Amino acid sequence: MIFALDFFLRRMAQGLVIIVLVAMLIFTLLRVVPGDPVRTMLGPMASAEVAEQTAQKMGLRDPIPVQFAKYVGQVVTGDFGRSFVRSAQGASTGGSRGGATFDASNRAPVMGLILTAVPYSLLLAGLALGISLLISLPIGIAAGLKSGKWPDRLALYLSSIFVSLPNIWLALVLIFLVSVKGGLLPAIGYQNWTYAILPAFVLAIELSPVFIRSASVAVSSNMLEPYVAAGQIRGLSRARMILVHVLRNAMIPLLNVLGIQAIGLLLGSLFVIEYAFNYPGVGLLMINAVFQRDFPVIQAIAILACTLLVLVNILVDFAATNIDRRLQY
Amino acid sequence: MTGELASTASTAEVRAQRSLSATMFTNAWKTTEFRIGFFIFFGLIVLSIAGPSLLGVSPTKFSVAQKFMPPVGFGGDWSHILGTDQMGRDLFARSLIGLRNALIIGVTSVVGMFVVGSAIGMIAGYVGGWIELLLMRITDAQMAIPVIILAITILGLSRPTPVTIICVLILAGWPAYARTARSVMLSERRKEYVRAAKILGASNIRILLVHIAPNILPPIAFVAVLDVARMMIIEAILGFIGIGIQPPTPTFGTIIADGTKYLMNAWWITTVPGLLLTISLCGINLMGGALERARNKLLQGVS
Amino acid sequence: MMSDAKPILQVRDLTVELRTAHAPRRVLDQVSLDVHANEVLGIIGESGSGKTVLSRALVNWVARPLEMTSGEILYRGEDLRKMPAQRMQSLRGRSIAYIGSDPTTALDPTLPIGHQIMEKLKSVEPGISNEAARKRVIHTLDAVRMPMAAKRFDDFPFQFSGGMMQRVMIVDALVTSPDLLVADNITQPLDVTVAAQILRLLKELQADYRTAILFVSSLLGMVHGIADNVLVLAGGKAVELQSVDGILTAPQHAYTRHLVREMPRIWEAAPEGRISAPAPQSDDREVILSVRDVSRVYATKDRSRLFGKQHVQAVRGVSFDVMKGDSLGIVGESGCGKSSLSRLLSRLEAPDTGEILFKGQNIATLKGRAMLKLRKGFQLLLQDPYNSIPSHMSIGRIIAEPLIIHGGLSKAEIRGKVAEVMSEVGLSSDLAGSLPVGLSAGQRQRVNIARAMVLEPELLILDETLSALDQVEQAKLLTLFERLQMRHGITYLYISHDLGMVRRVCNRVAVMYLGRIVELAGNETTFFDSGHPYTRALLSAVPAIEHRPYEASTYLLEGEPPNPINIPPGCSFRTRCPFAFDRCATVDPMLTARGKGDFAACHLAGGGMPASVAAAGTTFA
Repeated sequence: MIFALDFFLRRMAQGLVIIVLVAMLIFTLLRVVPGDPVRTMLGPMASAEVAEQTAQKMGLRDPIPVQFAKYVGQVVTGDFGRSFVRSAQGASTGGSRGGATFDASNRAPVMGLILTAVPYSLLLAGLALGISLLISLPIGIAAGLKSGKWPDRLALYLSSIFVSLPNIWLALVLIFLVSVKGGLLPAIGYQNWTYAILPAFVLAIELSPVFIRSASVAVSSNMLEPYVAAGQIRGLSRARMILVHVLRNAMIPLLNVLGIQAIGLLLGSLFVIEYAFNYPGVGLLMINAVFQRDFPVIQAIAILACTLLVLVNILVDFAATNIDRRLQY
Repeated sequence: MTGELASTASTAEVRAQRSLSATMFTNAWKTTEFRIGFFIFFGLIVLSIAGPSLLGVSPTKFSVAQKFMPPVGFGGDWSHILGTDQMGRDLFARSLIGLRNALIIGVTSVVGMFVVGSAIGMIAGYVGGWIELLLMRITDAQMAIPVIILAITILGLSRPTPVTIICVLILAGWPAYARTARSVMLSERRKEYVRAAKILGASNIRILLVHIAPNILPPIAFVAVLDVARMMIIEAILGFIGIGIQPPTPTFGTIIADGTKYLMNAWWITTVPGLLLTISLCGINLMGGALERARNKLLQGVS
Repeated sequence: MMSDAKPILQVRDLTVELRTAHAPRRVLDQVSLDVHANEVLGIIGESGSGKTVLSRALVNWVARPLEMTSGEILYRGEDLRKMPAQRMQSLRGRSIAYIGSDPTTALDPTLPIGHQIMEKLKSVEPGISNEAARKRVIHTLDAVRMPMAAKRFDDFPFQFSGGMMQRVMIVDALVTSPDLLVADNITQPLDVTVAAQILRLLKELQADYRTAILFVSSLLGMVHGIADNVLVLAGGKAVELQSVDGILTAPQHAYTRHLVREMPRIWEAAPEGRISAPAPQSDDREVILSVRDVSRVYATKDRSRLFGKQHVQAVRGVSFDVMKGDSLGIVGESGCGKSSLSRLLSRLEAPDTGEILFKGQNIATLKGRAMLKLRKGFQLLLQDPYNSIPSHMSIGRIIAEPLIIHGGLSKAEIRGKVAEVMSEVGLSSDLAGSLPVGLSAGQRQRVNIARAMVLEPELLILDETLSALDQVEQAKLLTLFERLQMRHGITYLYISHDLGMVRRVCNRVAVMYLGRIVELAGNETTFFDSGHPYTRALLSAVPAIEHRPYEASTYLLEGEPPNPINIPPGCSFRTRCPFAFDRCATVDPMLTARGKGDFAACHLAGGGMPASVAAAGTTFA
């Protein structure tokens, strides 16, 4: 119990530091890139005077640390500000309304935009992770048990091919073959959950090599551990040693990979794939925000993505310390 | 009897003590997949350097008359082996230029992130204390933003040039190397040869550069080969989204993106660069995978 | 005793071959043996004699590239080699148990030991209830004198010391009351006192459980302590089978005679083997190293408190002087603080308190150039010949490295010095250009020695430097050290667990226990008239075939050293001392002089312990 408390306090504190660092980085980055966001909001027709007024009103001319402090104050209360370009009604309005002054109240709150998009992304990510584990764990475990034999070679070649398929290209090929030519699955946009299948499959193909490799390495290296041979000499069957002991021990590196590599990879590719499939998740929101220079949205998504990664990492590590108590020391 | 014993002992010793990287490389070279990968990779490098001039066609020359020509075997002719795009430009030549650009960006950025990341990781692992804590928190923070998200944000907001693209990729990729280098260093600095160097009076910088670095960097560098492939994919993604190297320079991403509009009637425009990219990635991944496996096997065998 | 006329295990002409790329090589060559019920058969052989292969073959555990090519292994008349896998599996663990030399890796590291033993019990005795199984395991844990057995049932393998883990493995083997126990080198990784405890325990359990034991070891002294009969293996052949006393008194085979003759002796001195030149006894010799009240504490995480830290007291107030030309041995078991002390003496770390004066200068506080200059004078030789020299540099470059670091010499001068030192340590000069790849352990250690000697040090600290080498190499290097001492007047500090070697080469001996020196005395005093019960316990536990002055029955320790985090008040040895009395619990004895140059930290140092057997001529049994 003491351990769990100690662990979470320590890791949460470290995580908070990480999140603050990321927030600072993104925040500063967005303020030093060329281009004035006020121009984006007001459009090219607005006079320099009006633009300057708006900027002052919004605090965009304050020194960056001051702006950051204000921003953090807002974020702590759960308020990520309002979009520069999207109206509360949902339409993107950036720069289309001539000289009118910028009115904050009719812009969409960032949190609302994100919360609308999150369920779609969760569905996609969950489906991708599920498919990927379903494909890769059996292959990886078989490869680990038969190290050097045909399942191992199959796993090697399969994962080499999977990891060599550029996700955007694979997406296009699948859209063309499965959806356009074959008419088997819908692909572009979102109407119901079947729209998530194809993009999830693309993501799963991208994730699988990571799992196949780490599962096969984890299982095969555990099979070489002396306790496996010793267990059989002690009178336990090989099947029992594998099912009860080897798989349990192999979980630890797998959890590690899940926390460090897989979730980060999934999150990154999710953005690209959502863009390629025009799938209305957080990734599409983010990429559009980048093109529209919608800074509040970019900031919020980057910070939340980072928070998610940090949390997943903490949970995964905690799970690992529960499987292998040595990690508590 | 003693002769036999001596011979087994010495072979075991040789196995354990051949320089790690040399053993890894020869072990990897013995595998079929490494050789396949090696030949694909170097074949493509030669093609991408010599190819465009050998083909005798310009990758950027417009020709409205020759637009949408299919590849040979699908109704096209030998003047454009793999067909032409919507502006009548030779697809094979364009893809090869794309490959060249992707390789340059992939290799340069991986070398960059390897140097920066390993240096930071080694220092953190060797020095320890609050410097380690600080460096590793920065690493964690940097790692908590997925590569693509960082790249899209920076490049989407500034003007992408090859140099900025490489810089962004290095910025996004170094933390992984820092982590690996640090964890290797943590176990390395306890090894006896490091203690031995300290006892002789070697300075910390000398120990790091002369004694430790030649030992721990080659295995990390071998696995970096895999990252070249990853960076090439990211370069293609950036081009696809429109924030990679800007036209008219051909890149995989831009050609593929152009082709999406003509998917129905000119499928080859996306297929040719996509396939070429996939094949080159296969080559790199087979090589990198073989090296990685050789390394894992060796590290398992030694411990 | 031998009620069964028929042996329970018969091995007939067993041959095992190693399948290599070239020709197959015989690892076991037509070995035959019988084991009767309740018998302890010792098997002795050096590393490479095939003894581990033999003991594994007895549980049908021969994996490629090894292969059993002919012969029979009959368990109660049934050939293991022809047995169906199912039957073999139930036989293993239930009737024939096997314990290997590394107990720390024999169980799944992620599950409590009790649960794993229960798992085995239920697998070989299906039908046993959970409760009964648990009770039986805890009962057997008690039988091997595991303290707090019921609580430790739920502990994980990494929470046990090597000795305690070996007890766990003994429980695992005996919990099913097997007919035959194969104990393959089970005391090898353990400290001498712990190994002696395990040996005594096994003897007692053998009497209780009436299990036949096949006891495999490379130490004649170890086998001598337990076996009825001994089989001698050499080069895969069984060369001699005799009663244990017969082996010692009337060895038949030439190899056995060689084995008995080469046993390291501590008390029955073999004069030609003794190296230590009796140091000049004048008192006005220069003190080259003076250690004054040195302590070192390491902070580690405390798991029982939030953000807690605990302090491991590795070295506690150590003081001693080393005279020029001395060879001082520092002995003790693992965890006694001798490695921490070596790190302090070689200035890899600074002590928390105290002074280390090398030729009058305090190396604990010296820094920068002055330190670098002084460093030339004292060098440390490490244990592992493989990891202590870089594999990517040529041998000449490795030896030149210290000269390059210290600077001031031209390339030609460096080359000359390197060549000179290489020939001095016995490395052929044409090795200078090649990588250390392919060097034997002994040659590598010579590279190490050359690298240190090139700086012309006055003090060499040898931290287990020879323990990775076989006896022949050890002897050669000891001769080299002696020659270097005579030529350059070098002072040696041997940090070692090998009492036999210390007896041979050191003129003074310091014994460490729990971070402190408990006895510091001349060689003869230490080995024949020691003033501390711990020294006597160590000497009583050394596996030996000679008549010894300290009987295990009087001195052998129970339990393990206390945790260096919570050291008991008073004398830190009292928790294990057979002679402890009231005062020991309150007054911590200081190192005090007993005779000329002899010191011990014990209230009974002046008298009160039984006299040594050799001195008194009586046996305490």
